[in-house]
Amino acid sequence: MSGEAGYAKPLPAVTHEDREFWAAAREHRFVLPQCQACGHVWFPPYASCPSCLSFDRGWTEATGRGTVWGFTIMRQPYIGSFEPELPYNVVLVELEEGPMVYSNLIGIDNADIACGLPVEAVFEDATDEITLIKFRPV
Amino acid sequence: MSDRDFAGQTAIVGIGSSDFARLYRTPDPERTGEAMATEAIAAAIADAGLEKSQIDGLITGGLAHYEPVAYRTGLTDVRFVVDYPQAGRMCAMALMHAATAVHHGLADYVVLFNSVAFRTQGTKFGAQPQGLLYDTIYGMASPGAQYSMGFTRYQAEYGGTEEQLGAIPVAIRSHARMTPGAIMQQEMTIDDYLDARYIAEPLRLFDYCLVNDGAVAYVVTTAERARDLAHPPVLIAGTAGRANFREWYVDLGFWDEACGSMKADLFDPLGVTTDDIDCLQVYDNFSVSVLWGLEGFGFAPKGQGLEWVQDGRIALGGELPVNTSGGMLSESYLQGWNQHAEAVRQLRGQAGERQIPDCDWSLYWCLSALPGASLLCRDGVL
Repeated sequence: MSGEAGYAKPLPAVTHEDREFWAAAREHRFVLPQCQACGHVWFPPYASCPSCLSFDRGWTEATGRGTVWGFTIMRQPYIGSFEPELPYNVVLVELEEGPMVYSNLIGIDNADIACGLPVEAVFEDATDEITLIKFRPV
Repeated sequence: MSDRDFAGQTAIVGIGSSDFARLYRTPDPERTGEAMATEAIAAAIADAGLEKSQIDGLITGGLAHYEPVAYRTGLTDVRFVVDYPQAGRMCAMALMHAATAVHHGLADYVVLFNSVAFRTQGTKFGAQPQGLLYDTIYGMASPGAQYSMGFTRYQAEYGGTEEQLGAIPVAIRSHARMTPGAIMQQEMTIDDYLDARYIAEPLRLFDYCLVNDGAVAYVVTTAERARDLAHPPVLIAGTAGRANFREWYVDLGFWDEACGSMKADLFDPLGVTTDDIDCLQVYDNFSVSVLWGLEGFGFAPKGQGLEWVQDGRIALGGELPVNTSGGMLSESYLQGWNQHAEAVRQLRGQAGERQIPDCDWSLYWCLSALPGASLLCRDGVL
């Protein structure tokens, strides 16, 4: 997939804490921060380990697999740029590695979404710099 | 706090509220946060039968902060000042702070308030900045969508229907219709509830609290001083907090752990049980918050809360009336403060046609990123 021209929806405000995460996503890799001192894996990519407070942060490749914890179907235009897609889904995915991530499910009717559904990550290039991680049923 | 010796040593002695319905009908940009706070403070001090000069503690919240309010109210020489951020989750925390302050002599009479102008400011609760988990880039918007996501999970684990959930807003609306100043006065049936539009499916319009303007203030002092004042004292039996910060907002166990912790802090030192509680005045930002608190505090069996709230059980006249002035779903979104004002009226025996007979105990909770709770009672029952 290549970046859409004139992508109008919100984009992440990339900071020093998550620059490497988004750089990996651009290469269609899903990485999670991992503590080099204690091995803990966390998300979002804070600069330090929430378990042992070490700043010795590395990265580990995520499997991209997880299950849907919960979902909602957005029916009102809270964010103008999403209005053409109403009604659209938002899911909270529990990754195999433990962390929770928000995303959208693609390749499924909203009516078929269910908690516990096994899903895997897919990469959608939004702009030349940003690639979003979405999910589809396994 | 789990301190038997502290229980009942402090009291709420005065309450003051805006006319929420009038402010809702006629939004007035000159009614600023400070102006509404000033009116509520004046009403609370008068209700307590105090002179303004006796107030020596000030806890501010919501839209109006300590210096602007101190100048407008003349409360410029006080011994104890705290300024809370605008957030409903701070309601129980502010009461906890006021009670500890007067108990330890940091102040004799603390006035505390919340003041909001969500309607005149055109606050859009969906248009939040990017969340910590990048939710906005996926179109996730508004706290209601978070609770909606929790409800799909709850239904997957325990079952239950949207129609059953509607029993909560329907009961609370019936109370607003008996409350002067409550914003939503029209009757609402379960069909009206189901006919309303989805906001974040499966939650509908009437699962959401109001967006309005107004202020509520109260005065807190020691129980000893309270017994010399205008009204029967309403004792602070306890307050509790249990941080539950999760980047994804809704706790994966629907706040069971937080509720259990706060219940133990509030009930165990006093030997109080759920059977003792005469009414709940709780944080109904969304209908599902009521459901999860009923289960978390053990009023309803786990997973059976939706069945439990049917057939008028939580309406006035039922086994356990909830939000007897209409809560935030139908009276006013004053973020827990209007619930405390109603608890005071019920425990004083001043709730008019809404009065619960022999009302001795009232419980408050707020399920959010920072859960809080408080237990109030009539003098003499501890």
